[in-house]
Amino acid sequence: MENILIKSSPDTPYFPEVNFNASSGLCEIAGESYMEETYKFFLPLTSWIKDYINIVNKNIELNIKLIYLNTSSTKCILDILEILKNYEDKGGKVKVVWYYDKEDPDMIDEVEDFEAESGIKIELREFN
Amino acid sequence: MKNKTLLSYRGPFYIELISVFGSNVRNYTNAYTNARKKLFRIFIELSQNVSNYSEDFHMVNNEYRIGVGELNLKEFENHFTFTTKNLIKRSDSTILVNRCNLINSSNISELRQLKREQRLNSPGEKFGARIGLIQAVMLSQNKIEYQYEEVDERFAYLSITVKIDKN
Repeated sequence: MENILIKSSPDTPYFPEVNFNASSGLCEIAGESYMEETYKFFLPLTSWIKDYINIVNKNIELNIKLIYLNTSSTKCILDILEILKNYEDKGGKVKVVWYYDKEDPDMIDEVEDFEAESGIKIELREFN
Repeated sequence: MKNKTLLSYRGPFYIELISVFGSNVRNYTNAYTNARKKLFRIFIELSQNVSNYSEDFHMVNNEYRIGVGELNLKEFENHFTFTTKNLIKRSDSTILVNRCNLINSSNISELRQLKREQRLNSPGEKFGARIGLIQAVMLSQNKIEYQYEEVDERFAYLSITVKIDKN
């Protein structure tokens, strides 16, 4: 399986940086996410995770380091969390970590909503 | 200070423009810890509502539409206001106005529940999550003001204003 590597650019700050590694199962999304046609950006990411589960079938860890995501992006992230929850329910080992700024209570509320909606445990960690 | 217009724009809501304006919004609010993150987030949500749903739009490469509308950011002594205005179909007006009224009559925990239900039930893809307005009110913790103005038999303008306290 190929890795996914999308670098951030100051010209397009509305696209997050993405690093999905098929060897380690470590997936990271960082920066900000508020592009147009959000689902078109996230579709390859969702497909990659489905393929990883079906083909590699090993541990997977999702690290989210988004300081802002628009509501369309939250729908796409929720889709990913639901896929991971389904994998976990079938015996897959899954870890989800959400990095947050301690001065951003709105983001903590958002993560609580993701946990409630997807049913998956999300570990909160402060940004260093 | 009575009020000061910080930003005013009418035209197509391209993401490149929204992003530059958003960066300015962050700069305007640097001194206000409560407003800084909230105003930027509300700015993006409401601007993207115009971009996605305005009935006045530009087609880009015959592939996708970019909504045309207006935005206005004002600073007052203790708060900011952010207003967007765009064309809607009159046939959608009842749904939209009812939606504004429902949001305004809900407390924060009801809004949170509404947001969860709406996001879970949204078909996703090009429809997004359809929770931008709920999110804006949850962030600002103030009711929205809306104005409906008929244009002709088919269309009307809907403007939405959100107040964001500085501290």
